[in-house]
Amino acid sequence: MSRTARLVLFFAALLVAVPLGILGLIGLPSFGHHVSTYGDVVDAMGTDLRHVTNMVALVTFDVRGFDTLGEEFILFSAVTGVTMLLRGDRGEGTSADPVRIPHRRREGRSEAVTGTARWLGPMTLLFGIYVTLHGQLTPGGGFQGGSIIAAATLLIYLGEGYPAWRKIVRSVLLDLSEAAGVGIYLVAGLVPLLAGATYLENILPLGEVGSLLSGGLIPILNAGVALAVAGGFCSIAIEFLEETREPNEDET
Amino acid sequence: MNLIPVAVIVPLLAAALLLALEKVLPKRLADGFALLVAIFVAGLCLVISLETLDQPEAYWFGGWRIQNGVVLGIAFVADPVGAGVAAFAAILFSGTFLFAWGFFGDTGTRFHVLMLVLLAAMVGFCLTGDLFSFFVFFELMSVTAFALTAYKLESASLEGALSFTVVNTIGSFLMLAGIGLLYGRTDALNLAAIGGALDGHQADALVAMALVLILAALLIKAAAAPFHFWLADAHAVAPTPVSVIFSGIMVSIALFGAARLIWTAFAPLDQVAPAFRDLLLYLGTFSSLLGGLACLIQRHVKRLLAFSTISHVGIMLVGLAALTAPGLAGMLIYLVGHGLVKGALFMGAGILMAECQDIDEIRLRGRAKHLPLTGLTFAAGALLLAGLPLGAIHEGHHLISAAVEAQHPWIPLALALGSALTGGAVLRATGRIFLGLGPASNGEAEGPGKPEHETPGRPVWLMLIPILSFFAVACLAQGPAVTDTVLDLAQGFADHDAYGQLVLEGGSGAREPSSEGHAAPEAPSSPILPWVSVLLALLVAGLQLLRERLPAPLVWLSSLVLRPVFQGLDRLHNGRIGDYAAWLAIGLALLGGAFVLP
Repeated sequence: MSRTARLVLFFAALLVAVPLGILGLIGLPSFGHHVSTYGDVVDAMGTDLRHVTNMVALVTFDVRGFDTLGEEFILFSAVTGVTMLLRGDRGEGTSADPVRIPHRRREGRSEAVTGTARWLGPMTLLFGIYVTLHGQLTPGGGFQGGSIIAAATLLIYLGEGYPAWRKIVRSVLLDLSEAAGVGIYLVAGLVPLLAGATYLENILPLGEVGSLLSGGLIPILNAGVALAVAGGFCSIAIEFLEETREPNEDET
Repeated sequence: MNLIPVAVIVPLLAAALLLALEKVLPKRLADGFALLVAIFVAGLCLVISLETLDQPEAYWFGGWRIQNGVVLGIAFVADPVGAGVAAFAAILFSGTFLFAWGFFGDTGTRFHVLMLVLLAAMVGFCLTGDLFSFFVFFELMSVTAFALTAYKLESASLEGALSFTVVNTIGSFLMLAGIGLLYGRTDALNLAAIGGALDGHQADALVAMALVLILAALLIKAAAAPFHFWLADAHAVAPTPVSVIFSGIMVSIALFGAARLIWTAFAPLDQVAPAFRDLLLYLGTFSSLLGGLACLIQRHVKRLLAFSTISHVGIMLVGLAALTAPGLAGMLIYLVGHGLVKGALFMGAGILMAECQDIDEIRLRGRAKHLPLTGLTFAAGALLLAGLPLGAIHEGHHLISAAVEAQHPWIPLALALGSALTGGAVLRATGRIFLGLGPASNGEAEGPGKPEHETPGRPVWLMLIPILSFFAVACLAQGPAVTDTVLDLAQGFADHDAYGQLVLEGGSGAREPSSEGHAAPEAPSSPILPWVSVLLALLVAGLQLLRERLPAPLVWLSSLVLRPVFQGLDRLHNGRIGDYAAWLAIGLALLGGAFVLP
C-alpha cells in the first residue's frame, strides 16, 4: 500500500471513529462531578480496618492486591523477556567499558563525579528503602522504592566505572532478587490460604496506626515488590550496557 | 483449602523458582519440571471444572466482598466452562513441553519461565470475574508472548514480533480506554456489578463505545479480519513450541473472553444489536474465506498453518456472533478440536524443521519420505480441518452452522468453503513434502530466503507422542453425549441472571435443570456438506499439485482469474506495521459504525 493510500484509509476511518468517540466521551460524568463511591467507602474504612494511612496502598496491596501480583509479573516477564532477547555471545567479562566511541579520547573520571556519586549513592539507597518501608503510611511503596534503589546502584557505575559496578552488582544476585521479590508476594498470599483464610487475606497483626510496622501484610508485599523492581531494573540496565560493550580479548 | 487461586499461583511460583535456580539446575530438569507443573495445573483445572459442574463458585481474594453496596475486592468466578478452557490450555502446554524436550538446550530456563507465566495468565484470564484483572491477565499474556515470538533473534522473527507487539499494544490501549469509559458510567469493575448497573438501561453512545473498544481489543488478539494481519507474521516465525500455544489457544481464548464479557456485563443491553451481530457474523465469515485463500499461496509451511488459523478462528467468531447458547457450545467444541489439530500440525512442522532442517514446502519436496508417520498425521490433520465428519472440529462446525443457518443460509456454505481451502492447502503441502508430488515450483509467493531450522537430534518418537495423543482426543471427543453436555454447560454459561445472583447476592448460582431440554440442533440440513467440503479440499490439492498436466487453456483461465486475487492478498500481507494499523482503524470504524446504523 502506498503512503497516500494508507493515509486515506486511516483518515477515512477517523472520520467515523472520532465523532463516535466524542459522542461517547460526552456521556461521561461532567468535570468536577464526584463519582467514586469506591473511593468514599475505602477512605471511610481504611484506617479502622487495616490501620493504614495511605489509602492507595490499601487498594493496591490489600483490597485489590491480586491485580498488583499480576502487574508485578508483567514487569517480571518484561525483564525476563529483555534478558532472554539480549542474550549476547559476550560472556561474563567485565573489564572493558561499554558505550565507548572509537577514536574519541578517553577522559579520566573527574574526582568531583566520583566524590558526588560516593556521597549521593548511599543517600539514594537509603531514600529508596525509606520510600518502600513507608508505603502504607505516605505516598510511595515498593514500585517507587525499588526504582530508586536501582537508580542508587547506577551511581556506583557513574562514580566507580563499569567494571567496579559489575563486580558489586552481580547478575546472578539480580535474578535472585527478582525471583525472591515475586516469590515473597506469592508466598505471603499463600500463608493465609494454608491457615484457612483466603488468598492474600490480611490476617497478620495490624500494628499501631502511623507506625512503620502497621498494615499487616502490606509492608511485606511492598518489600517483595521493591526487591523484584530493583533487581529487574538493574538487570535491564546491565543488558542494555552489555549490548554496546566490545568483547574482551579473551572472550569470543 | 480452596483450589481456585492455586491454579494460578502454582505456575507463577514455578516460574520464580526456575529463574532463581537457572544457574544451578541440570540441563533437562527444567524441561521435566515445567512439564510436571503444566500437568498439575491441567489436573487442578479439571477438578475445579468438575466440582463446579452443578454450582459455579465465586472466590473473593483477600476476603473483600461487598460493603455499602460497593464491590470492593476481586472475584474469581469458577464455572465448568471457564475452568474447562483453562484445563484445555494447560493440556496444550503439557503436550508442548513434552514436544519441546531438549529444544532449548543451551539458553537456560528463560523460555520455561515465560511459558509458565503465560499459562498462569491464561488460567487467570479464564477464571476472573473482574474486568480489570481480566485486563491484567490479557496484558500479561501479551508481554510474555511478545518476548517468546522473538526468541530466535533472526531478522524475520524480530520483524514478526515487532508487528505483533505494536498491533497488540494498540489493542491493550483500546481495551483500557473502554474499561475507563465503562467505569466512568457504572462505577464498577466487577463483571456482575457492571451487568447489574446496565440492567434496564438502553445502550447510549458511551456504553456502545466502551463495548466497541473492548471488543476490538479482543478481536485483535483473536486475529479476526481486518485485525488479523499481525498473526501470520508472528506465528510463522515463533519457535514451534510457542506457535503451538499461539495458534492452539491464545487466539481462541480471546473469543472465550469476549463471550464471558458479553454474557456477564453486556447481556442486559439489547444493543448487541442486530446490526452489530450481523457485522461480527460477516467479519467471521470473511476471515474464514480470506484465511483459506491466503493459505493457498504460502510455501512457508508454518505461515500456511498460521493463515489457516485465521480462517478457523473466523468460524469460531461466527459461533460467538450467533449470540445463542448452541452457537457458543459450537464455538467451545470447535476451540478444543481446532486447538488440538492445529497444535499437532504445528508440531509436525516442527519435526520437519528438526529433521529436514527446512520449512519451505518447495525446497522440502520429497525430502521427508523417511517420516511416514509425520506425513500421515499431516494428511489426517488436513482432512479434519477440511471438515471430515469425525471428531470435535466437525461437531463444533455443525453446531455453529446450525446456529446461523436459519437467518443466513449462505454462511454455512462459505464456512465449508473456507475449511476446504485450508484443508486443501495442507493436503497439497503434505503431498509435496512427504510424497514428492507436484512441480518443483509453481510461481507461488516467495519462500523464506534461507532454510530455517530448529534444534536437531531430538527423538522423533518423543515428539510424535503429543501429536498422536492430540489427534486421538480430537477424534474421540464427539458424539451426542459430548454435544449434549457442552450445550448444557453453554446454557449455564449464558445465564446472565444466575451469574449476577451468584456473585452479588451470594446465591447458589445453581441452575435449574431445564425441563424442556435444550434446543438440540436438528439433523444437519445437508449431511453431505462436509463430504463436499472434503472433496473440494482434495480437488484443490490435486489441482495445485497436477497443475502441469492440466490442459493449457484451463491453466490460463484459472491464472487469469486467480492471479490478481492472490497477488492482491500477497500485497496486503506485506509486513508493514503502518498498513496494519490503518486496517485496524478501519475495523474500529466498522465496529463503531455498526452501532449507528439503524
